[in-house]
Amino acid sequence: MAGAEISVRGLEKSFGQLKAVDDLSLDIPSGEFLALLGPSGSGKSTVLMMLAGFEVPTGGAITIDGRDCTRMPPQKRNIGMVFQHYSLFPHLSVLDNVAFPLKMRGEAKAARRRRAAEALEVVRLEGYGDRMPSQLSGGQRQRVALARAIVYQPRLLLMDEPLSALDKNLREEMQLEIKRLHSELGVTVVFVTHDQGEALTMADRVAILRGGKIQQISPARELYERPANLFSAGFIGEMNMIPAQWDGSGLVLAQGDRLAPPDTALIGTAPTGAATLAIRPERLRVTAPDAPGALAATLEEVVYAGAGTLLIARLADGTEIRARIPSAGLPRLSEGERIGLAFDPDALLVYGEAAA
Amino acid sequence: MSNRPTPGRLLLMAYVYLVLIFVLAPIVVILPMAFSEPDYLTFPPEGFTFDWFGAFFGNSRWMAASVFSLKIAVLTSVVTVVVGTMATYALMRGAGRLGTLFQGLLIAPIVVPHIALAVALYLFFRQTGLSGTVTGYVMAHAIIAMPFVVFTVAAALSSVDATLEDAAMSCGASRFDAFRLVTLPLILPNVLSGGLFAFILSFDEPVISFFLAGIRDKTLPRMMFDNIEQNLTPVIPAIAVLLTGISIFVLVSAAILRRMAQSRSMPAKEA
Repeated sequence: MAGAEISVRGLEKSFGQLKAVDDLSLDIPSGEFLALLGPSGSGKSTVLMMLAGFEVPTGGAITIDGRDCTRMPPQKRNIGMVFQHYSLFPHLSVLDNVAFPLKMRGEAKAARRRRAAEALEVVRLEGYGDRMPSQLSGGQRQRVALARAIVYQPRLLLMDEPLSALDKNLREEMQLEIKRLHSELGVTVVFVTHDQGEALTMADRVAILRGGKIQQISPARELYERPANLFSAGFIGEMNMIPAQWDGSGLVLAQGDRLAPPDTALIGTAPTGAATLAIRPERLRVTAPDAPGALAATLEEVVYAGAGTLLIARLADGTEIRARIPSAGLPRLSEGERIGLAFDPDALLVYGEAAA
Repeated sequence: MSNRPTPGRLLLMAYVYLVLIFVLAPIVVILPMAFSEPDYLTFPPEGFTFDWFGAFFGNSRWMAASVFSLKIAVLTSVVTVVVGTMATYALMRGAGRLGTLFQGLLIAPIVVPHIALAVALYLFFRQTGLSGTVTGYVMAHAIIAMPFVVFTVAAALSSVDATLEDAAMSCGASRFDAFRLVTLPLILPNVLSGGLFAFILSFDEPVISFFLAGIRDKTLPRMMFDNIEQNLTPVIPAIAVLLTGISIFVLVSAAILRRMAQSRSMPAKEA
């Protein structure tokens, strides 16, 4: 079974004055695992609700497998959906919950029970069919919700922050479980989350949303290593952002350093003028303050955390800069000391004002 | 928390018991009078007999009034449950600002004195020919019983997660099936308990019945009033005992139903 192919064109949703989703276009190829990532209010859930059919767009179009679904009611879309709080039917047994979509499709009772039992096996809950949802743990309820969403073999599976109610260990286990299901079933998955770690771990591609617009849509690695703009850069992981001036060939920092980053460091076309130098904390090394190419800074805090140590330093112009250094081999440093922070040229990213 | 009652607590308990005695005393007084032998009301009662119950069940006029009341009460509870559940669902799952106004109208009869309602209905029904008809009674009783159904159903609906219906629709259920197969079973105990309240309210309702009674058909409470005016025999306390028994039975059933509803929807909510 192949996953659905989705095309979203100029999607828009306004609630009165507020534009929750603003001219959003997106193509999801068959079988992809796409994460919609964003802070609350970014419109990610609204996009999912429009894909599911619970919200009607105020503009634009949604096509699933070539069929226009923009205004189609949810029960006609043949989509599997896992809700944030599982939304199991409390008055039905686990088996009846899972068999519910088959019942709605007019399947005979015996076939229904057999297929529901199979779906429970897929989520590793064989033998739990006779229990009531209230007798299950959070993780088990999540698995039942998954089984109910996949039992009729939909080509598209939507998930609305399905792991946010679980504790950390269980969440990591379920992340792997959902990934396994995705590769086993070949279904297209659209997964909403506000947890960047979850998005990077699980998804083939991650779409970052802010203010109802997609900021960037890329594979996890590219998203982390080459964020398309400062919002993405700051939203995914930690990022040092140092104000600078771009003079056409080099970067001048407020404290006077002049850097010549490689062409690949420039994100988009950077016109001369105000720019931002971005560098990940784990790409920095500690050297002597006067080492060539290193940024001189005053160490303010040393936070030892086992494998790594976090250094918080300040540049002469007051910009805070963080470095995460492997603890092994790190010299003894004391607060207030002058240090140099060195980096490889390929660790640099330069954003012009337009990319802010 | 210590189990030793403080003086304030003792005082409160004494007060609560006094209120209970004040409320329940009339029922306790009427009970023995129903078994008293003389054909006039006496307290304390003299002798012991079941004759007055026999007189009630053996009299065709009493029986006709009981059947008439029963018919109205059953129809009233059906009408209130259906209309009240639909209205409450609409109020809580959709109707925006208009809903507040509509809700006010539905529950207003709880604060409007029944006598005022009765006079208004009397004038209206006299012109429309509904006085004394089953339809008239059911309409009138449905108005006073409605708030009780609205309250019990609203309490149930507020504990049922609205996304359950979304989940059902994502599984392929139509909007109506989502309500019928998911929400309705979850609120059913409260819906039925609202229906039982409506039944009791209609069955012992005296004020409106007094105004709407026709010449031929009379409800049981109206018939009791007539009887008290003419000849006051212990049949009246006997009926009062029967009515009290029915009320207690129905209210206890309603309480059990609501408890069932709670034990069913609570564990699911904690998820």
